[in-house]
Amino acid sequence: MKNSFLMRNPSTLIFLAALAIFTIMVTVLSEAFGLGLISTSFVKTLGKTLCLGLVAIAMDLVWGYAGILSLGHFAFFGLGGYMIGMWLMYERTRDIVISSMSDAPIPPTAEEITDAIGHQIFGVVGSSEFPLIWAFADSLVLQLVLVVLVPGVLAFVFGWLAFRSRVAGVYLSILTQAMTLALSLYLFQNDSGLRGNNGLSGLQNLPGLDAVAQDVVSIWFLWASALALGLGYLLAAWVVSGKFGSVIRGIRDDEARVRFLGYSVESYKLALFTVTACIAGIAGALYYPQAGIINPAEIAPIASIYLAVWVAIGGRGRLYGAVIGAGFVSLVSSWFTGGQAPDISLGFYTIKWVDWWLIVLGLSFVLVTLFAPKGIAGLFDLAGSRKWPNRHGADLGPDAGALREREANE
Amino acid sequence: MKRLILAGLALLMTCTLALSQEAPMQDILQDHSALITKSSRMTIAPAIAAISDSGLTQAQDVLQAWQSKDIWQRKSDGLFFRAKETAEGSYILFDFDSGETLGEADKADLKQIKPNSGVRALIGSALVTFQLQDSDPARRLAALTSIERNPSSELLAPLRASIDTETDADLKAKKRRAERLLTIAYDSDESARVAAISDMSGDLGVDLRATLNPLLETRTEVFAGEAPEGLNLARRLAPGEDISTEAAYDLLVTAGLAPARIDQAEIRATLGTHISEQEVGGVALEDLNQPEARARAYAALVAQGLAEPDPTSAEIKAHLDAHQFVEIYNEPSRPVTLAASEALEDILLNVGMNQSLDLILDGLSLASIYFLAAIGLAITFGVMGVINMAHGEFIMMGAYTGYVIQQLIPNHTASILVAIPMAFVVTFAAGVAMERLVIRWLYNRPLETLLATFGISIALQQLAKNIFGTQALPLTSPEWLDGAWVLNDVVSISYIRIAIFILAISFLAIFLFIMRRTRLGLETRAVTQNPRMAASMGINPNRVNMLTFGLGSGIAGVAGVAIGLFAKVTSELGNDYIVQSFMTVVVGGVGNIWGTLAGAAMIGFLQKGIEWFNPSNTLAAQTFMIIFIIIFIQFRPRGIIALKGRAAGD
Repeated sequence: MKNSFLMRNPSTLIFLAALAIFTIMVTVLSEAFGLGLISTSFVKTLGKTLCLGLVAIAMDLVWGYAGILSLGHFAFFGLGGYMIGMWLMYERTRDIVISSMSDAPIPPTAEEITDAIGHQIFGVVGSSEFPLIWAFADSLVLQLVLVVLVPGVLAFVFGWLAFRSRVAGVYLSILTQAMTLALSLYLFQNDSGLRGNNGLSGLQNLPGLDAVAQDVVSIWFLWASALALGLGYLLAAWVVSGKFGSVIRGIRDDEARVRFLGYSVESYKLALFTVTACIAGIAGALYYPQAGIINPAEIAPIASIYLAVWVAIGGRGRLYGAVIGAGFVSLVSSWFTGGQAPDISLGFYTIKWVDWWLIVLGLSFVLVTLFAPKGIAGLFDLAGSRKWPNRHGADLGPDAGALREREANE
Repeated sequence: MKRLILAGLALLMTCTLALSQEAPMQDILQDHSALITKSSRMTIAPAIAAISDSGLTQAQDVLQAWQSKDIWQRKSDGLFFRAKETAEGSYILFDFDSGETLGEADKADLKQIKPNSGVRALIGSALVTFQLQDSDPARRLAALTSIERNPSSELLAPLRASIDTETDADLKAKKRRAERLLTIAYDSDESARVAAISDMSGDLGVDLRATLNPLLETRTEVFAGEAPEGLNLARRLAPGEDISTEAAYDLLVTAGLAPARIDQAEIRATLGTHISEQEVGGVALEDLNQPEARARAYAALVAQGLAEPDPTSAEIKAHLDAHQFVEIYNEPSRPVTLAASEALEDILLNVGMNQSLDLILDGLSLASIYFLAAIGLAITFGVMGVINMAHGEFIMMGAYTGYVIQQLIPNHTASILVAIPMAFVVTFAAGVAMERLVIRWLYNRPLETLLATFGISIALQQLAKNIFGTQALPLTSPEWLDGAWVLNDVVSISYIRIAIFILAISFLAIFLFIMRRTRLGLETRAVTQNPRMAASMGINPNRVNMLTFGLGSGIAGVAGVAIGLFAKVTSELGNDYIVQSFMTVVVGGVGNIWGTLAGAAMIGFLQKGIEWFNPSNTLAAQTFMIIFIIIFIQFRPRGIIALKGRAAGD
């Protein structure tokens, strides 16, 4: 069965192979296990990029396949990061507190330790009490469950409310954007229980593993991210290749027609929305320990829009396009904004890429939308000289908003 | 005998009067010479009273000179003069009565009169009498203002005396009010205070509340057994109900009526000082991470007499039962506190009503801002169905246009009058360019329009940063828009907000006029409903779309000028409004200007209302508002005013 699935989807096999080769090469070139040609910080950047690829797959499932332009998936990504961050920060602070208290003549009670941890963590927001949402912070297993559960439940409730009342298209986009804005504004408050705009920090230090150097940890996270990306890709490819995939593509192209065929459109959308939110949460939980810090600014609506930008540039409606888009745009962005790109002197004016990169990105995004709706992944079609269905330019659906033949070559 | 002395005194008086007919002030000073030279707050009153009650015109000068330490006494004859230093160690003397110069004197021959600060304060309040009756109204007002700022009991009498002779009606009313307030605070007659309080009851002034509140300040005291009679009790406090048992017990401890409780940190410290051979009080050290083990060890220490016992809850309860906790007014007079609390209740009711009025005005003003920001969207999104994420950037562009115009034209009134049409022109052009270059290729693909315009939005934002820098730039409003329309101490609204309200109303009128009365409006509506049919009727849909989009963008630019007037101009100006603007249009109902109006009103009032519940936290207000809107969309997915029938499109 699995064999035939892979045979029917050769791109999956190629992608997984490329991912494996990439991971092995980075490992070999890294400081920890090999030649040391790639610095630890760059290994972390690559690991983070893999996580962004995973969340881009989630976005592609929702947008590229089901036609729901969600501007909230980076919020789910951030929530996943917060959930794992709570455990990391709690345990790490606990280690510090215990070692500092071990010199005292009287051994501390459990309550004193908890109070000291609370004081350490919430001192910056003028509090020392643990809010209720930190109730499970001392348990890795429970927090890992929450990584999936919190974004999943939020997406389920929101999606249930939205899809039930038939909010679709741009209305849904604006609504998801509002949800993201509400969440980030809420987290910006000091009494939100997640340290306000300070966010959670020091996440790169794994509790109990102080002896392990950061270069080794970074490789571990790279492996974990690659594994998650590979599994996520497999899951997504399996989902879209089956009957479920056909239905959600049908919803994208003509929702009313699918509904009249007897499918429960809302349930399909809700299931997909929730599952992708969970995937985004997992990606976030792997991303933020590599970034080291998470704060509410990461969740702001603009981040979710960038996610849409990556997927659009990479090529939506195909999974490898999303991963390529996320990797390409985020790496190029960090190259330009990191000040590594050389300035261009025009004589009367020097173009500093730090200032001008966003303009280039914005305009290239417009150009991609206008002239290359298939994005970077469209290049593979050229190479493979793939056959497109020929309907002589007619719309695929009766609705004015339905996709044109040109855009629906999946 | 008594008569004899009186007669002698009278004789003496006439003698001195006769002796110095020309120098009455010098005489008064000489009479009180001893008091003046050895002045102290306790004894000086008669001297000051003698000067100020003398009825002499020079009394004010003397007091001022005295207060500013300019009075010097000549050592040779003990006479007082106003002196002014001309050179090092050399002083010119002025006579108080004639005002003439009496030549120079050496510092060695003079003694400066240096009143201490207490005396100077007394002189100051005596001076107030003169200032309150000064011929210059400005000085009278200044004196009154200083009374209002630093009220004290000594000022009451001079203030009262000055009211009847006051000629300026405005000042008279102010003096009356100040007199009432001083009476409430300082009059010695209880009934006068109560009368003054009931006079002022219902007044909204902050000053009145500032006068009444201290009267109702309380302190909490604890008494063994019953509280003594004669105290102005506010209420009795039952521990556990009105006051927490911890706080009540802490009061007992502070008053020295009960032993202090020992908290965990102290127990830990005490245990730490009594470690012997890895044991404390017979409990092994490693067991002390258990709370019960610690309690056992501490009990053992107490039994050995090495530590103070922690009072048990039964002991604490016994202590609390044996004492009474009361809140006592700092003001001793019962009728006054009663009247004050009644008056304050009236005032707070009145304040509450006025605050709701103020809240309504605030909500109205916020609603008009949202309406202004959203009306452009109501055209591009509502009428044409084009999602323009760069709408916020058009608002920003308008604000920056206003800023640039203001750099070119320094006169603020003129620059605003030029800026409004210029902002319209600039953003109209930008909107038309955007429609021609990008949006017209993407009609029927709304999601792509959203993304493409978002790309334009980030590019424009960054461009603004590159040109104007990241810091906020000012867009100054003309002088006649400064200030606020003040109804009373509670209700006020700034003129800028009124101007924005008027601008919003006129935009609504312009929009309605264009849509209903002009050719463009007719064609726009036709193209919106059915582009093919409209085209077959000879309307050029491309041209109409271009102009309509330009119109919506232009209105956004004008809104930008208005918003820039009260918020700083930054490249992120549009960001702050874009989500709210879309919310306004979506909540109100797409395609209907009245819906946009209703949406703006709902969001504006809602946000102000939530902020009123929790004024310290505007972030929470926005969060709750957005959540409310998401839920609202559940019940009216097509907005407050939904289009029906054919106009609804689908």
